[in-house]
Amino acid sequence: MRLLTHNYLISNVKGTKEGYPLQIEAEEVVIEDSPFDQELVTGILPKLNYEAVIGALHQVADKVEPKPADIPEKLPEGEIDTATLEALYHVLFNIHVIEGHLVCPDTGRKFPIKQGIPNMILHEDEI
Amino acid sequence: MDIPTETPASSSSSSDGKEERYLVLIEFAYRHLDFQIAEIESVLDMHGIQLGSPDCRVYPLPGQDETGRTTPASSNPELRRPYLILSFPAKDASKLSDNSNSVDRWGLVTRATNENASIAEILSRCTLVKTIVELWGASTSSLDTCAKECGEWIKNTKVGQSIFANVAGEQESWKLTVHTLGTKYTREEQAEMRDKFSYLGFQGPVQMKEPNHEYVLIREVEMDGKGSPLHPRHGIDKNVIPEHDKLPPLGLYFGRLLGGKSKKGRGGLEQYNLKNRVYLGPTSMDAELSFVMTNYGQVQKGSVVFDPFVGTGSILLSCALRGAYCMGSDIDIRVLKGRNKEETIWKNFDQYHLRRPELLRTDNAIYHRHFRRHQPLYDAIVCDPPYGIRAGARKTGSRKDTPRPILEEHRHDHIAQTKPYPVSDVMSDLLDVAARTLVMSGRLVYVIPSFHEFDPHTDLPRHECLKLVHSCYQPLQAELGRRIVVMKKIKDYDFSKRDHYMSNIWVNGTESAEKCANLRDKILEAAKQKPDYERKAAVRRQKRKVLKEEKKAAKKKKKKRLGEDNDEVEETQS
Repeated sequence: MRLLTHNYLISNVKGTKEGYPLQIEAEEVVIEDSPFDQELVTGILPKLNYEAVIGALHQVADKVEPKPADIPEKLPEGEIDTATLEALYHVLFNIHVIEGHLVCPDTGRKFPIKQGIPNMILHEDEI
Repeated sequence: MDIPTETPASSSSSSDGKEERYLVLIEFAYRHLDFQIAEIESVLDMHGIQLGSPDCRVYPLPGQDETGRTTPASSNPELRRPYLILSFPAKDASKLSDNSNSVDRWGLVTRATNENASIAEILSRCTLVKTIVELWGASTSSLDTCAKECGEWIKNTKVGQSIFANVAGEQESWKLTVHTLGTKYTREEQAEMRDKFSYLGFQGPVQMKEPNHEYVLIREVEMDGKGSPLHPRHGIDKNVIPEHDKLPPLGLYFGRLLGGKSKKGRGGLEQYNLKNRVYLGPTSMDAELSFVMTNYGQVQKGSVVFDPFVGTGSILLSCALRGAYCMGSDIDIRVLKGRNKEETIWKNFDQYHLRRPELLRTDNAIYHRHFRRHQPLYDAIVCDPPYGIRAGARKTGSRKDTPRPILEEHRHDHIAQTKPYPVSDVMSDLLDVAARTLVMSGRLVYVIPSFHEFDPHTDLPRHECLKLVHSCYQPLQAELGRRIVVMKKIKDYDFSKRDHYMSNIWVNGTESAEKCANLRDKILEAAKQKPDYERKAAVRRQKRKVLKEEKKAAKKKKKKRLGEDNDEVEETQS
């Protein structure tokens, strides 16, 4: 699971108010480099909840080797320089949580991540 | 989709004072005939060219009238010709005709930002296009008229004059290839055909290997359904069949090659063939068709693509080959995880050194409960929804009305129940998710099986925010086929109108959806209607019975032998 995907997922159990952002409890994180894609990252930035990106990065930080280049704490307004875009691309697209859990902030329900695939399916009594 | 055909009189490239046009002939592979125009139309649209507008019109093929029918009536009323002539304004000729770097270089990954793209570069993404030719002259009757037309084009039109001046000089090497669509002509006969065009006066040297310009002479004949000539010139005994040899061609074309796939192996696409994948499932989409789907979805470098029924990821793989970022979800965790460590969706992507797709286990029936309400995100949603022919659809939930509560200590390993997901809901959820999550002008592309009773005009699902762009039919068996449906987002999604949207999906009620559900049963039913079904079924039953008994006997024999072996072992031991 990439941090980009985390940005969109919510908890959906009965009784959840917002269920967002999900807490990441990472056990295994890998970095898999992919070629920088400027069109993709500039297209996606305005559609992010940037605060949640920063939060997610903090939660996985101690498992990420090597440490990624810093990204700004607030999304800069106007044109963003290439170095920052590359750093943002790296954080959003190259960091994969392979094993761990996503935890609902309201109910504490844990959604497992196994083999890099988050399992968001609800149990039949949670719908 | 019907695109009006240009009336040749109003726009032919002649010197009668009318507007001059630049004509381009496209030759298609003789496959997926109903998918070809839609593919061209989608790809042209990516470059802002509207097929049917003055910028790019369809010009009739030789012998075709304005309705696209070939006259005189051929023996086959359903005749499909694998050719298309596009007509462009003459002012675009120099830009479009550039063939300096596009012959034999078919692009998978492209981005439609190059305003000066030549027609060969633009169409190089089309899976079903074989060659692209700058058309100098065409005729139905004879090579002489075709050659004469070419001569007039060079002499009497401004476009022809300027192009000829550029390509026929002393410095420009060239060759002329004859395409005869599976009909054999001897070397001498071909030389005779070529000679008709020698009067055009190419000054440069003839060069067989990598000449500056390649000219082609195409002799189109009527094809059977499988891509072979309907009236072959030679019989099985290799002798010429005189009555077939006499038949006039459907069309003759002469022009300059602008781009084309090499004859060997479909322009390099064969490396993506399903049989070369490490991980496959029963519903994996064949590579060629999924490449066509990526064009319908206008998937390009930087696109974000979502497949809510990802399965083994075959459709997303083609999208990734086009340079897209892919997200796929499925309700079935087993298919997502793969067969074992070596056979997974990710391994298929690694094989081609592609950015890994993002995989999630979610349920498309409740998309809004997995994802926050986000801004439209996907440039395309491309998928093959489950219709229950090979894989039945499921959604979360218990089959019982009041599900049994799960004990806390079991919750961690609990396998959530799923229940059948009616096709009508699969479709309406798909359209609603697409309407909500596609960016403006983003496209939804999906496959739907089509039984003979299915009427695309009334039975396809609709959505106020989505416009139907194409619905292309591919016959598979006598009564069964499949359709690829393409929709485009044209309106912002209004969350307060969701109930209204959902209740208007099916024009004729959900029975429409039932027409594409449970097709296995329907195919069986249809087979039963056929004459002689009972007798044939009895023969098959008998065969199965014999086979079963043989197997049983073999098993018994093996068991007995094993038993004897064991006895022997015991004996020696004792």
